[in-house]
Amino acid sequence: MSEGAAPSGGSTPSVRFVYDASLAAYELAPEHPFRPERLELTRTLLEATGALDREAYADVGPLTERELARVHATRYIDAVKRASRGDAGDEAYAFGLGTGDNPVFPNMHEAVLRVCAATVSAVELVASGAATRAVNLAGGLHHAMHAKASGFCVYNDLALGIRRAVDAHGLRVAYLDLDVHHGDGVQWLFYDTPDVMTIGLHESGRYLFPGTGHTYETGRGPGRGLAVNMPLEPFTEDASFLEAFETVVPRALEAFRPDLIVLQAGADMHRDDPLADLSVSLAAMGASYRRVVELSEALTGGRLVATGGGGYDPYRTVPRAWSLLWAAVAGVTLPERVPETWRERWAGSSALPLPETMVDDPSSWPPVPRRATVSSHNRAVAARLMEVLETIWAERGTDAEATRHDDREGPG
Amino acid sequence: MLVQDIMTRQVVAIGPDMPIKDVNALMEQRNIRHFPILESGGSGPARLTGEAPDDAVDRLVGIVSDRDLRLVGAEHPMAPAGVAAVDPVRRVMVSPVLTAHPLDPIEETAKTLREHKIGAMPVMDGDRLVGIVTGIDMLDALVRMSGVYEAATRLEVEVPNRPGALASLLAAIAERKHNVSSVMTSRADAESVTFVLRVSTVDGRRLAHHLRDAGFVVLWPIDKTPTS
Repeated sequence: MSEGAAPSGGSTPSVRFVYDASLAAYELAPEHPFRPERLELTRTLLEATGALDREAYADVGPLTERELARVHATRYIDAVKRASRGDAGDEAYAFGLGTGDNPVFPNMHEAVLRVCAATVSAVELVASGAATRAVNLAGGLHHAMHAKASGFCVYNDLALGIRRAVDAHGLRVAYLDLDVHHGDGVQWLFYDTPDVMTIGLHESGRYLFPGTGHTYETGRGPGRGLAVNMPLEPFTEDASFLEAFETVVPRALEAFRPDLIVLQAGADMHRDDPLADLSVSLAAMGASYRRVVELSEALTGGRLVATGGGGYDPYRTVPRAWSLLWAAVAGVTLPERVPETWRERWAGSSALPLPETMVDDPSSWPPVPRRATVSSHNRAVAARLMEVLETIWAERGTDAEATRHDDREGPG
Repeated sequence: MLVQDIMTRQVVAIGPDMPIKDVNALMEQRNIRHFPILESGGSGPARLTGEAPDDAVDRLVGIVSDRDLRLVGAEHPMAPAGVAAVDPVRRVMVSPVLTAHPLDPIEETAKTLREHKIGAMPVMDGDRLVGIVTGIDMLDALVRMSGVYEAATRLEVEVPNRPGALASLLAAIAERKHNVSSVMTSRADAESVTFVLRVSTVDGRRLAHHLRDAGFVVLWPIDKTPTS
């Protein structure tokens, strides 16, 4: 595919918001930290700001079980279906089901299949050329494994979307994971795949679930050099996060030359997230989303699919973070203040006062401990990571060129 | 876990009369660092255990490692005196040999390897060579025992050194319906024991908080206190 072959033909690119009310049915348990309300909170905030038009909405298409089985083991799918019917046997534990993190709930299979279908629909819209960019905020279940539920994730919508892009459209896909937790499920599912590069910035596995995402996880066999992991120190702040992003992401994308970028935009890098320890602000998160859009313009003809992910401060942080994500993807500007109508609508549901501004003010936060150490550590890790990867990429260079199908039919 | 669970069963053994230079070449070719030496092996080619029907009568007479061969023929104060690369390997082999039994617990074997500063032990069932176990096998076993291949949160908890202390810790974790993928002891003294656990939960901080509330001393993860 030649660069800059955006299907929109120069007019306003079409950007779609894949959504229907059924996506909120993925509620693991009433007291579970993974809150489906985040979807409605974000959608109503975007509508209140005028950033989301009716015309942007796109329906969730179908996803067959046959396609599901391209990513997940049949015996695992069967176990999920049994558990969904209230028939989870003792074998469920072997599949990671029925635990505190992944409790079983009625119609779980159908609910999570719907979330996966929405991400696959987003990929299909972009890969087929019907849209330039598409978003599924219900998606981002990056921990789900081939035959195991893990970290609140039952099926891996991202892997299913990537498979669709690779198998049905022959695209090379760069997967970029900005969730605070390492995207282990997606990484391991494509660890030896030459068509998919996985890139992640996350809090170091030394301190946080799932414990992986170390710099030396670089891919295997035909996928060698195509797993990129930038672990960040606890208390990493905006400047250091953006510096690490700039050191790693543009160069990795340039080296791989993808046709499509799939972005997992978990909102849990934020300082106020209760499950993790980074100190990133909404301003830096928004800046990183805008940068991803910019990179996709330069490298993939604008083709970008974005999903949600983690984010456990559901009322205050997540709706604003994902509004910034949508604003970046749709190329619109948000107001500085959170609309009063939205605040009034949700004030009764939130335990804490709702924010008044769309971004927060990190200068008002108490200073983090060891600030200089955190930044210099991140800088050193990023430099070492790139040194290793550049060596691997130089080795694969000629092979990669030889196997690349430049004359392949592109989307649109 | 026993030696028989982690040992290599297909052992490449050599005879004591094989020239050192050939042993070097074989190490290179097979990517192996230790060869048991069997008496009836003669000067012939290396072979795998189980290939010859008379294995039972072969006598283990020595072992040789890359370290024993490295300095042969070198201008070096530690080089074995008067030994050349064309000489038979018996000139530099180590004898008698420390061996393991298939039913030895791996921690015993690990201790022996460490105390004697050696890299491998042939595994003998009576007079018969049935395998070889190396320091790398020990490391692989440790990696597996740690449960590090499972997505998990790592906890370090100090409990009193008395019966039931670990049981009550595990009960407190089970109460939250989390699965434990491994438990290891990292330190122990007369008063207390520190366990390293890998638990299948994203929210390790909440679990730690719950355990602290229940009176446990959670050393890791540390409390999130960015302000002080």
